[in-house]
Amino acid sequence: MRIRTVTMLGLALITVGACSASATQSPTNAPVVSKAPVTAVPSAPAKAYNLTLIQGVAGDPFYVTMACGAQAEATKEGVNLTVTGGNKWDATVQKPVIDSVTAAHPDGVMVAPDDSKALLAPLKAMSDAGIKVTFVDTKLDDTSFAVSSIATDNLAGGTLAAKTLAGLINDKGTVLVVNVDPGISTTDARVKGFTDEMKNHPNITVLDVQYTHDDPTAATTITTATLAAHPDLAGVFATNVQNAEGVATGLKQASNTTVKTIAFDAGPKQIEDLNAGIVQGLIAQDPYGIGVDGVQQTVLALKGGTTTPTIQTQLAAITKDNVNDPAMQKYLYKASCS
Amino acid sequence: MTAPQPSRAKFIRSAIQTGLKPLAERWGSFSRTRFGSVIARAFSTNAAWIFLLLIVLMFIFNFLAPGKFLTEFNVRSMAENVAVLLVIAVGETFVMATGGIDLSVGYVLLFSGVTSAQTMNWGGRDPTNSGWDVVLLGFVVAIGSGLAWGVLNGLIVAKAKVPALIATLGTLGMSWGLAEILSNGQDLRYLPTIIADMGASRVIFDKVPLVVVVAVTVAAMGAVILSLTKFGRYTVAIGSNQEAARRAGINVDRHLILVYAMSGTLAGLAGFMSLAIFTTTTISGHANDNLQAIAAVVIGGTSLMGGVATVAGTTIGVCIPMVLFSGFTILGYQSFWRDVAVGAVLILAVYTDQLRRRRRERR
Repeated sequence: MRIRTVTMLGLALITVGACSASATQSPTNAPVVSKAPVTAVPSAPAKAYNLTLIQGVAGDPFYVTMACGAQAEATKEGVNLTVTGGNKWDATVQKPVIDSVTAAHPDGVMVAPDDSKALLAPLKAMSDAGIKVTFVDTKLDDTSFAVSSIATDNLAGGTLAAKTLAGLINDKGTVLVVNVDPGISTTDARVKGFTDEMKNHPNITVLDVQYTHDDPTAATTITTATLAAHPDLAGVFATNVQNAEGVATGLKQASNTTVKTIAFDAGPKQIEDLNAGIVQGLIAQDPYGIGVDGVQQTVLALKGGTTTPTIQTQLAAITKDNVNDPAMQKYLYKASCS
Repeated sequence: MTAPQPSRAKFIRSAIQTGLKPLAERWGSFSRTRFGSVIARAFSTNAAWIFLLLIVLMFIFNFLAPGKFLTEFNVRSMAENVAVLLVIAVGETFVMATGGIDLSVGYVLLFSGVTSAQTMNWGGRDPTNSGWDVVLLGFVVAIGSGLAWGVLNGLIVAKAKVPALIATLGTLGMSWGLAEILSNGQDLRYLPTIIADMGASRVIFDKVPLVVVVAVTVAAMGAVILSLTKFGRYTVAIGSNQEAARRAGINVDRHLILVYAMSGTLAGLAGFMSLAIFTTTTISGHANDNLQAIAAVVIGGTSLMGGVATVAGTTIGVCIPMVLFSGFTILGYQSFWRDVAVGAVLILAVYTDQLRRRRRERR
């Protein structure tokens, strides 16, 4: 009687164990589990870590591609990944997202903070709650509690943009910089790299930086207004995807074909614009690689390994001439994974 | 073949009616008792129903995410994250009770934060180690900025007779633009540490954030003023029938200016609270604060036509979207589902309110 109960209990336990294992293990790990000898005592399966990626803004091809990279790496390492983010680039929208993720208490979080200062308190609270925090793309001024900060070398990206644009406009004329908002570490660095490099080009005048609040319509208005005010406008540098789309629309509206535009990022729309000749150069980051590195560093920290405090990922200048090169394909952003 | 359909429907209907009849009778006699009448009266208001909805939502999320949703940390975070919105929603309740609307609150909030921060940075000095005198000055400037915009709104609505929707849409653009011009589009990133400490400080057994205490105090005072004072009765009377209020001897213009001034002042206070929470001016934010405040007020049962308003309803109306937001995020749903859910609740709240009103009128 008692033996039967014990056997039943044991059976039940094994069933439950198997069920939870199949539920938490990713498909790629399943074969590994089934290879284990059947006679062995079913040891507790290695804990599948739960990770969350908090995007800077949801739905943006850059962050979609980053999520694809993170998901691919998560599947490879057998950890669970949840992706979330605010629907606007706005620290006041992202704070409740961060707080709720802290409440959900995953083991590790990869986050792209929308402001380098305003989100210190909620992210510190997340770290204090025992969650491993890794910065992807953007970071805080204070990175002391982070596992790692993984981002594009944006200063180098700005320099690359300036050099590429200077080449396109034969080293002379007026250029406009269209930026998102002040206080975003990544875009600020791009502008700094760009304006610093332009100091080496005495025949190029850089106009005051214009801010769009990440609103493509604002970028369109700024572009058409600047064309009206500066008929000698030779080039535009857009610091992110949303701005590049707005600038492209502005130039289309003004049916202007002489202004050379160089844009940061390489979303599907930008590649289309590049092929159509609306944009002449794209400075592409490697969001897929940032996602992969983010998961790797976070899992490494959870397993007690030594992490790399700062990782700077590669950039590429994409023009009509090299857009179809196989080496460039990994730099193109996706609207959805697969 | 079609013949049985109506009779079956009739049968089902009569079965339901006979089934419900004793229940209805019992409810009828219960609602005539003293305790029952209190309950019955409470549930004739929207506030009670949406409070029930709030409780149900919290239980659902706690059931789906046990040990994660109703934790001390998450409840505190949610309260902290609605504090700023609650303060402007209280002002919005008064404005909407008069049958008006204040679209400018979000950017008046931003403007007040910018002028306050700039005052504390006066002359380009680093205010990090400034004392209470500087902080107090910054506070007064924030309140004063909000008050000034509020009075301007009130004058345009009451004296110039420009519809509130247009008047406050105008000041929305003006306050945003001026905030951008004053700050040159740059977030002011240096504030006295005293302000940051205030934003992070907790009171009442070291559990409740100070900003939450401030917001709840504002709401409590708003509730008392709206339901128990002459000022509150005038506010509702104007919303119910402006001409009648005027003929009854209420100085409607003066009262409207006061109501808009109050909304502006509360936006100024909210601006200072936002500085304390984020320790920067968050110039890219607050774009939807006005619509969130209006949604909260409407979910809380305040009529868009004016004349009916409760601050208690508004308080719950502020909480429901945050509970949905936090719950959906904790459950790991795709971010955009949160907006869908909040939108659906808004429509549902107004629809049930309409249904109840229609039923009452038919009676």
